Amino acid sequence: MYPRWLWPVFALPGVLWLLILFLLPFYAVIGVAFGSVDQILFTPIPAWNPLDWNAGYVSQVLGDLAPGGVYWDVALRTIRYVILSLGGCILIGYPVAYYTARHASRTKTFLLIMLVLPFWISYLMRMLAWINLLSPDGYATRFLSWTRTSDLLLHMHVINDPSNYLSGQSFTVILALIYGYIPYFILPLYASLDRIDRSHLEAARDLGASPFRAFLHVTLPLSKTGLLGGAVLITLPMFGDYYTPNIVSGAPTTSMIGNQIDLYFHGGPQPTIGAALTIILSAFLMVLMGYYMWTIHRASKELPQ
Amino acid sequence: MHPKERRSAATRREFLARTGGAAFALSGASGLLAACSNSTDSAGSTVNSAGQKVGPGGLPLARPDRRVTLPLWEQPIPSGMEPETGGEFTVFNYPAYIYGKLLKDFGNKYNVTVKVTPFDDINSGVQRLASGAVQPDVTEMTPDNLDRVVAGKLIKPLNLDYIPNLKKNVWPSLADPFYDVGSRYSVPYTTYSTGIAWRTDRVKEDIENMPQPWDIFWQADAYKGKTALLSEVRETIAMALLRKGHKDINTEDPALVNAAVDDLKQLYDICNIKVGDLQYETIPEDKAWLNQAWSGDMIAGYLYYIPNKQVGSNLRFWNPGRGVGPIQNDMWSVCSTTKKPVLAHLFLNYMLDNGVAYSNFVNFNGYQPPLTEIDPAELVKKGVIPETLANSVLTSEDLGPDSLQEMTLTSEGQQLWQNGYSSFISGA
Repeated sequence: MYPRWLWPVFALPGVLWLLILFLLPFYAVIGVAFGSVDQILFTPIPAWNPLDWNAGYVSQVLGDLAPGGVYWDVALRTIRYVILSLGGCILIGYPVAYYTARHASRTKTFLLIMLVLPFWISYLMRMLAWINLLSPDGYATRFLSWTRTSDLLLHMHVINDPSNYLSGQSFTVILALIYGYIPYFILPLYASLDRIDRSHLEAARDLGASPFRAFLHVTLPLSKTGLLGGAVLITLPMFGDYYTPNIVSGAPTTSMIGNQIDLYFHGGPQPTIGAALTIILSAFLMVLMGYYMWTIHRASKELPQ
Repeated sequence: MHPKERRSAATRREFLARTGGAAFALSGASGLLAACSNSTDSAGSTVNSAGQKVGPGGLPLARPDRRVTLPLWEQPIPSGMEPETGGEFTVFNYPAYIYGKLLKDFGNKYNVTVKVTPFDDINSGVQRLASGAVQPDVTEMTPDNLDRVVAGKLIKPLNLDYIPNLKKNVWPSLADPFYDVGSRYSVPYTTYSTGIAWRTDRVKEDIENMPQPWDIFWQADAYKGKTALLSEVRETIAMALLRKGHKDINTEDPALVNAAVDDLKQLYDICNIKVGDLQYETIPEDKAWLNQAWSGDMIAGYLYYIPNKQVGSNLRFWNPGRGVGPIQNDMWSVCSTTKKPVLAHLFLNYMLDNGVAYSNFVNFNGYQPPLTEIDPAELVKKGVIPETLANSVLTSEDLGPDSLQEMTLTSEGQQLWQNGYSSFISGA
């Protein structure tokens, strides 16, 4: 028999990792948000003791995030970009994950390698590649023009300049977000689809369900946790993203809430505002995370014991 | 009150009201937050006992027409000491802002390995110095941050005996500058003005001869997506102030700053304005056509980024001139963290050597050192820069008492400007 303490010890490195590299820094951000600022060097003075917290900055940022506040529009824009990018990831990523999990046989290994390949290159490098591709004489721009996709997008008012995708357009930022984050969406979804027991589908077909209805009533619900997992994995970093709009746009009209955080954290007299924005954004994301955890919990309870 | 005029703290009632109305309000947290709302200290005193505005640490605010002698927080190192040798020597600077070959030569001369630790911008650089995250020997500095780093004891007083090149080679206006009388903490590195850069093959307006050249940004609808401003809090708002004829680019009047921000926001619809600091690259490479820019940018662009001379002849820079547009300089200082103070002084002297500074200028960064030896006409004659960019080269007279320089603001003033810029880049 193994001693009782043996298995918990395996979790210790992970717990320590979380404590030191996530919870502690996060508490430091909370301390900064509720702290004050050194008036000479503008360095934050964190308030470690909750009894010493100064809620002024957090309350101010909450007010600025309210309708009509300074951050209202940029917060709405961020939510819009994230939702559209998530939608794009689902539309593109689900069929890819579905095909790889269910229908690829000999090509499965190759497809999986292709899905993992983007992880070999840094996110920033992949984004920078788009600068050349989407420049006025870039391959992507020429392809979109040659296939008349640019005209269609212009006609649909999705873009306003078909010759220059880098002119500060929302479409380009969303396209870049989809491109940047989609590998993180597909992999957990693939894992979830791959685990679905085929006998469930066979049972549905035996009971007279068409392939579409079998997908709708069996595959889709059973892949819900993978879908949500992938969605959580990409939406959380997307909400804090600031370098994607910086690289592919640079226009204030396409900036995201992460750009505001970057501004305040990047020097100047108000690092507390940056910290306050960060914890409010985190709190908002925790709501999404909470929904995901609840769904997972419910799904695990529904599993046959 | 303009939405960006920050208030430092909230009453319990205000706090609850805001919390209730906020889009992301967290019902569970609001009670806790409200209970903790008990302190106000976002802004320290910004006025001294005589009623004058002061900067960080209570130091007087230097202006071109108001010279300030900074207090010595310790005595400079004694004269006549031998330089330290061996080990590493760290230079804290913008990335790609100093010629690597020159650093290598300096290292070879004193048997040290010279390493550059880069920072993104001077504000984050000062923040890293203050946090102790970096411990360099010398750092790049700017006049508007000098009060902070002196009051915070992040840089050491200088012994000018080790830096004879300062008096020998540097413009008189910067050998004894208004912001650091007696050069107690700094020596100049580069100098530049803020103006407009554009390509004549793309932009048809005669910008230099417009009644108000800054207006070009508000008439740039034909250059949508190809027009950008500097990604700098002070530069963007100062430009909008100057456009409206307000020459006090260190104003802390909320009405003026907020009006300038509102003017900047008009540029969203006019030309979908961008912000960024890559104009030295984007204009020569035709990725941008019209930019707010520093005078060194087009020289750097001409030296490094033009695909051919034809493109080089299309580059233009409008230099607003003395008393019309901003002019600044960067500096070098010795860090308090240095373990090689004598060598650090010698590095400052080295960077002011005529040959070294000139090489750094024309072989690498394009930003002009303020040396008496550099003559715009001579640079054109030698073919270093084309005649069309001769106005990018500054002279000592450009930095007179009536020059416009972005200098230190009070703590409240800095908040006002940062919040204004935040509002501008929010795109709303």
